[in-house]
Amino acid sequence: MNQEHLLEVRNLTTAFRIQGNLFPAVRGIDLHLDRNETLALVGESGCGKSITALSIMRLIPQPPGEIVSGEVFMKGIDLLTLPEERMRKIRGNKMAMIFQEPMTSLNPVLTVGFQIMEALIYHQDVTNVKAKELAIEIMNQVKIPSASRRFKDYPHQFSGGQRQRVMIAMALACRPEIILADEPTTALDVTIQAQILYLLAELKREYSMAMIFITHNLGIVASIADRVAVMYGGEIVEVAPVGDLFEKPRHPYTEMLLRAVPRVDLNIEKLSYIPGQVPSIDRMPPGCHYAPRCDLRMELCDRQDADLVPLPGEPAHRVRCWIRGDSREIQDKP
Amino acid sequence: MSNVSTRFWNPLFARLWFVFNRNRISWIGVVLLLILVSLAVLAPVISPYNPVEQHVMDQFRGPSAKYWLGTDEYGRDLFTRIVWGARISLTVGTVSVILGMIIGSILGMYAGYKGGVRDEFIMRVMDVFMSIPTLLMGLFVVAVLGPSTMNLIIAIALTVVPRFARIARAPTVSIKERDYIEACRAMGFSDLRIMLVHVLPNILGDIMVMGSLWVATAVRIEASLSFIGLGVPPPTPTWGGMVREGFEKMLDSPGASIYPGIFILLTVFAFNLIGDGLRDVIDPRLRES
Repeated sequence: MNQEHLLEVRNLTTAFRIQGNLFPAVRGIDLHLDRNETLALVGESGCGKSITALSIMRLIPQPPGEIVSGEVFMKGIDLLTLPEERMRKIRGNKMAMIFQEPMTSLNPVLTVGFQIMEALIYHQDVTNVKAKELAIEIMNQVKIPSASRRFKDYPHQFSGGQRQRVMIAMALACRPEIILADEPTTALDVTIQAQILYLLAELKREYSMAMIFITHNLGIVASIADRVAVMYGGEIVEVAPVGDLFEKPRHPYTEMLLRAVPRVDLNIEKLSYIPGQVPSIDRMPPGCHYAPRCDLRMELCDRQDADLVPLPGEPAHRVRCWIRGDSREIQDKP
Repeated sequence: MSNVSTRFWNPLFARLWFVFNRNRISWIGVVLLLILVSLAVLAPVISPYNPVEQHVMDQFRGPSAKYWLGTDEYGRDLFTRIVWGARISLTVGTVSVILGMIIGSILGMYAGYKGGVRDEFIMRVMDVFMSIPTLLMGLFVVAVLGPSTMNLIIAIALTVVPRFARIARAPTVSIKERDYIEACRAMGFSDLRIMLVHVLPNILGDIMVMGSLWVATAVRIEASLSFIGLGVPPPTPTWGGMVREGFEKMLDSPGASIYPGIFILLTVFAFNLIGDGLRDVIDPRLRES
């Protein structure tokens, strides 16, 4: 298998069973992640960002969920075929997840310190004393003030931002190689968001980890990501290095998404938006999922979905669109 | 597994100390229980007579220097019998509830956490057990195993198990959907660990409070079973048995019923106070700042 990438997802399809029928929530996901890289997964609510992350971790609740097809290679090992026992040793150890809701993602009846050292004790053969030492060290690294004193405090004694720091400390305790951050700053104040993002970026560099960062905030993407994958309706519609994506988005959806970012430096009367909403998974259009909301839609788009293909001369920039972002080329497309 | 328990219990005991010190009323329960337990333990030392020794000339005596709490219809010293009865009543009450609590909680937590067919099966079996009246259960156990203190404990434990299965299952069902349990799975923890370390402390408060109440009920069940001859056979003293024996001569000598009754009351009271304290220890959400 391809050993170049730290993580490689191929043709991943995860479906949910609704009243006996399987509906794909994400379809044909192809992505890869290299060492020290941050890949942002962007898209509207319900586009399959979180499902993709949970599928990689094999945390999709079954039933009703089901990983229908695909491969997830981590350093050449297909995680989807691993026995549950071995997968458990990877979760939280080699690959950890940071969740969106710091207020509810900590166990209210256990001390924060215990929750941070628990993964260390569980995954790595360290003694109680050593685990405590390491946990306090990590608490210092995520900049929880007077860590050794707060070690014995309970989650309700922490603020939202501090709890998110604790969540990060838990995720990083075992020094994983991959971090899956599922909207880690969405629930926080803007000022705290910036601190947490800065912290994550710093720790990522320090521990030389790779990160998949899930968000719907393009401002965050611009500041933290190396590459961006834009998702829509359960599919990746465009992947590009972050600069390319912001400068020359090719998929009509990406374009509209970027245009919808409110700007404070321009005097705009009306905010722009994309009319309509993401179709639910049991009502996906047969062709391109974005077609019903697309300005450039043509007859072909309704019939058949395009493939995610690299742009000519730009192998790193791939787009799933018949028009490939340029309406003047319509004539010579199939 | 030993790792799980030591790491989990150490902070719990620290908290127990801390909260009990703040919630001083639960200390009353602890002190009361300690007194009752030491009475039971020291029975041979502190009791002036033999508990089954009859003083034919001294029936239905009131409290005096000779008989501290008076005597019953056979002239047996009530204080002596209460002290000896404490041994059996407290042992049967606590051991049977602890036994039923452990088995019931494990079953309920497992059923609630796993859900589906296993949940259905376990809980329907529990329903069947719950539908059998305590006395019938006692009759059945004694008929199969014969009358003895141990079998009395088994009979009471069997009636207690389904109650704890329900108490444990209900919160487990809601807790397993919480974000922090999802986070535990993302940390790669096994189901066993999630249940013991993350679900159990969350439901322990309910279980403990329920347990303290059921010890009281178990003392009562022991009394009724002893009375109909399914428990500890007379003349061995148990509190419930004494209340029942004294009840027949209530008008002549109320003390024979009332004194052991007061001890049952004190035991119930002590366990309820402790139960309240325990709930505060285990559930930090109930503590103010």
